[in-house]
Amino acid sequence: MSTSLIIFIVIALVLVLMYNSLVAKKNQVKNIFAGVDTQLKKRYDLIPNLVATVSKYMDHEKSLLTEVTKLRADANKPNISDDQKIKLDAKITSALSGIMIAVENYPDLKANENVMHLQGTLNEVEEQISAARRAYNQAVTDYNNAIEMVPTNFMASAMNYTRKEVFEIPQTQRENVNVKELFN
Amino acid sequence: MKTVSELTDFYYKTLYPSLKKLDEDRKKLKSRIIKIGVIYTIIFIIIAYLISSLSVELNGFIIFVYFVVGAIIYKLLIKDYTADFKQNIIKPLIYAIESTLRYESTSHVSSHLFNRSDLFSHPDRITGNDFVKGKLEDINIEFSDIHAEKRHKDSKGRESWSTIFQGLFIVAEFNKNFDGKTIILPDTAQSTFGNLIGGWLQSKNITRDELIKMDDVEFEKEFVVYGSDQIEARYILSPALMKKILTLQERSKHPIYISFIRNHIHIAIYYNKDLFEPSIFRSLLEYKVAMEYVNTLHLSLGIVKELKLNQKLWSKK
Repeated sequence: MSTSLIIFIVIALVLVLMYNSLVAKKNQVKNIFAGVDTQLKKRYDLIPNLVATVSKYMDHEKSLLTEVTKLRADANKPNISDDQKIKLDAKITSALSGIMIAVENYPDLKANENVMHLQGTLNEVEEQISAARRAYNQAVTDYNNAIEMVPTNFMASAMNYTRKEVFEIPQTQRENVNVKELFN
Repeated sequence: MKTVSELTDFYYKTLYPSLKKLDEDRKKLKSRIIKIGVIYTIIFIIIAYLISSLSVELNGFIIFVYFVVGAIIYKLLIKDYTADFKQNIIKPLIYAIESTLRYESTSHVSSHLFNRSDLFSHPDRITGNDFVKGKLEDINIEFSDIHAEKRHKDSKGRESWSTIFQGLFIVAEFNKNFDGKTIILPDTAQSTFGNLIGGWLQSKNITRDELIKMDDVEFEKEFVVYGSDQIEARYILSPALMKKILTLQERSKHPIYISFIRNHIHIAIYYNKDLFEPSIFRSLLEYKVAMEYVNTLHLSLGIVKELKLNQKLWSKK
């Protein structure tokens, strides 16, 4: 067998491996985003109930409630891109935490069983979302590294792969929420 | 739960009369062991001399017999003292931490739980002692000394045993619900081969699930995580829990293996020795000796507080 043939086979093999690893990384991002999406939907489903319960008590925070309702409607629109979903998620997270802080000012509301239940469920979903975000960010980092590093970057540009955005993890979420304190 | 210094106080104050008495026994036992040891060695040398004049090939075998018989004699000699020690020192110490705990000096965590943890390859023999079980802050917890071994047979059919794990094995309820499997092992590949090759080797570990890269640099340096679900693994290993596991690792000063399976946390700390055994050649009143008992107990029962297992998730209450 001639040397050139061996070289050709080796190069072909390397190219195939590079191609496959890039596809695998892209699919990993896609798979994990599906997981993120499921958790985000769970949270969207809680919003109408939450708004309905607290709006009876809250007089000064009507704008917060309308905002969160609007954001939810935006997020539930069909055909929105992953990047848009990521941006909406950040807005909803801050709007919801605004509502939760406001709840603290209404003793009746705080003691309301329905609100307590919602808060508990919301907290659990938030923890799931935070885990899903971290998983997604790791997958995206692996993917971004692959498309920017030598030698896979040549292959990636040929395949038209572009950088993906990661979730911004808010500082408050990095310090794990103390669930117990929230309820006491 | 009592702090380490409260427990140390308890050891030196409340247990002092028992310690004093046991230490007397220990001194007598020590001189007895030395006497019997010397006599045994002399007799053995004489017998060995007589036998070896008959055949030279037996030398290795004779030394082996010397150690095996010696170990058996030693075990028999310290048996009563060990039982006294566990009854009068270890048991009260455990009850001082929580009076509702159950302590059995001769049983161990079931082999079913050890195998369920999936931390080590399945052993052929599991022995252990100093079993503690009960509820701490409403969390079910149990732990014991475990010695797990594998049997090997060589071409001549001779049997030998190698250790898979020896140390403390703790099982406790976890405060979150999960379906999959998440396993944390000490990071040997990355620390031996560096990030690039080590990381690649880790991802090629076919006996384990998917490699999960964690977002805590310190944690990644010390441990490697495998799991059946990328999201669930991070749900369990929150940034706060990773920090706490690192602290636990620092405190125990021994390799730690952790798995999360069936809503339980399994922790194996590889001490490579039998714990909670009485010292014979050192005084029980020595600070270092005392601290070993107190620290190990505090560490194993303390994980409930340390890892905040008692802060149950809202839906688990």
